Amino acid sequence: MSPRLSPMRKVVTYGLLGLLALIVLFPIYYMILISLKLPKDIYRTPSLWLQGATLKNYVDLLTTQNFLVNIRNSLVVAGAATIVSVFISCLAAYSLVRLKYRYRSWIGRLILLSYLTPASLLFIPLSVIIARLGLGNTLHGLILIYLTFAAPLSTWLLMGFFRGIPADLEEQAMVDGARRLGALFRIVLPLSAPGLVAVSVFTFTGAWNELLLALIFTTSPDIRTVPVALQYLITGDVFRWGLIMAGAVTAAVPVMVLYYLAQRFMVEGLAAGSVKG
Amino acid sequence: MVRDRSRAVTRPPGARETSGQATRKLTLSLTQRNSLLGYLLVAPVLVCLSLLVVYPFLFAIWISFTDRTVGAEGRFIGLGNYAYLLWQPSFQATIWNTVVLVGVVQTLKLAAGLGVAVLLNQPIRGRRFWRGLVLLPWAMPAFVAFITWKLLYAPQGGAFNLVLLGLGLVDSHVDFLSTKALAMPSVIVATFWRGFPFWVISFLAALQSVPRELYEAAAIDGAGAWQRFHHVTLPSIRHVVLVVLLLSTIWTTNGFENVWLLTQGGPSDATMTFPVLAYLGLQSLRIGEAAAVSVSMLPIFAMLALFVAKLLQEE
Repeated sequence: MSPRLSPMRKVVTYGLLGLLALIVLFPIYYMILISLKLPKDIYRTPSLWLQGATLKNYVDLLTTQNFLVNIRNSLVVAGAATIVSVFISCLAAYSLVRLKYRYRSWIGRLILLSYLTPASLLFIPLSVIIARLGLGNTLHGLILIYLTFAAPLSTWLLMGFFRGIPADLEEQAMVDGARRLGALFRIVLPLSAPGLVAVSVFTFTGAWNELLLALIFTTSPDIRTVPVALQYLITGDVFRWGLIMAGAVTAAVPVMVLYYLAQRFMVEGLAAGSVKG
Repeated sequence: MVRDRSRAVTRPPGARETSGQATRKLTLSLTQRNSLLGYLLVAPVLVCLSLLVVYPFLFAIWISFTDRTVGAEGRFIGLGNYAYLLWQPSFQATIWNTVVLVGVVQTLKLAAGLGVAVLLNQPIRGRRFWRGLVLLPWAMPAFVAFITWKLLYAPQGGAFNLVLLGLGLVDSHVDFLSTKALAMPSVIVATFWRGFPFWVISFLAALQSVPRELYEAAAIDGAGAWQRFHHVTLPSIRHVVLVVLLLSTIWTTNGFENVWLLTQGGPSDATMTFPVLAYLGLQSLRIGEAAAVSVSMLPIFAMLALFVAKLLQEE
């Protein structure tokens, strides 16, 4: 990179960067700001600045709103969906990348098309199917439902990682007497550890962030996930913005940190951002 | 890291030949064993997708031809639901809104995506920092982003009213999300904010993979900045632009959080979209009709998905 910009272009460039920072950061700044304010400061003396921060909203959220239960539900659902999905996806991705058999390319195509199929096309029949299975309004049902997007997503991403591992290494292990599956677990998986971490994080954040399906499949208050709980706070009659923003910050910070950490493991470009959103 | 380790492993001399002979002797059975193992390993995901994607997908189409409700299987009524929907003002509004929302948002994202990517591709200080900054709205959960925008637009406690009133640009609170003329533009701005980083990051990666020599050669030939962009940059990133455009159009058309959290489709259907209309149909327990709403998106989705799948598999 040649660090040469004419002074004029430098001014324009950094001016535009400043504008970009303002557009990106202002909503986030305001979200955090409101989460630190009392209702009287929000409504009676509104201001873009902080006048005496308070953590009361966060305390209220955790003590009066059952939010800890929502967080637990989200952790259970996203965690379980991730574990199941990454496990079965490892097997499938390995099979599709390394083993040769008929219909292999058709199965690969099916997985990609499933990944592209939006939840908005599937939620109506799924609601009938889940009710028939007697899993309506349970966390088990939601975990199962989340495999609709988690399994194709993790299989597709893992296929990319497995392709990057030289096949010679496995042949080597198999000469040494290891079986196919042994090669998968002893050679391929350890080598793609960064990929496994990244894929797990993307699957987890996908499930943690999901609203539509959670709204349909978890109706009673004690099994609501975080997005659903916040949704009920903003569709009520009174907007308690301080409380709502405390919830928003709490829901966003952990997954954003994870996302940034995992993103560094991903190949630059499409794969790095291609989580359904 | 991966590459280093692969180099570290040295092949014992002669091992290759032995394995070659062994494989040849067992060719048939080994191939068979391999394909059997292949099917076994892919089976869990395949079963899961058949049950949770393929079957529901076909089931949705079937339901859309019935007058099913919650508690009643319903009977086959052919195109009855579709005929009924076509005369519904809310469905007509939905078609138009989707065209406007997707059309405007995608145009804005394309322009901003290219512009910001070119901006960040210049020799600036701390490029990694700026790249990370741009990614913030995309890394944020969609529901958090749209709840935050609902607050920004709020008449009481919202930032935009605060600024507009403070600068004396308006005399009284503006209710962005409940005013018919302002609701759709407000949804568009919020949807754009949350979605544009994906475009920037993808385009930036593509720009960085364009060989420098191409630019140098073009400069020697006397090409100006615009000509270089038009003749070198654009052709090199065409594939990525197309994939991003298609992927993002699928996601944007089917987005639920933006409209549901900001306006719930209101005021009087001014921001109604297919996913929200289908969700409201399910809530009112008319399953057949709701299924018809979401299945009417199918032709467009199928076209986009098959096209992007083809492009992605070519990569």
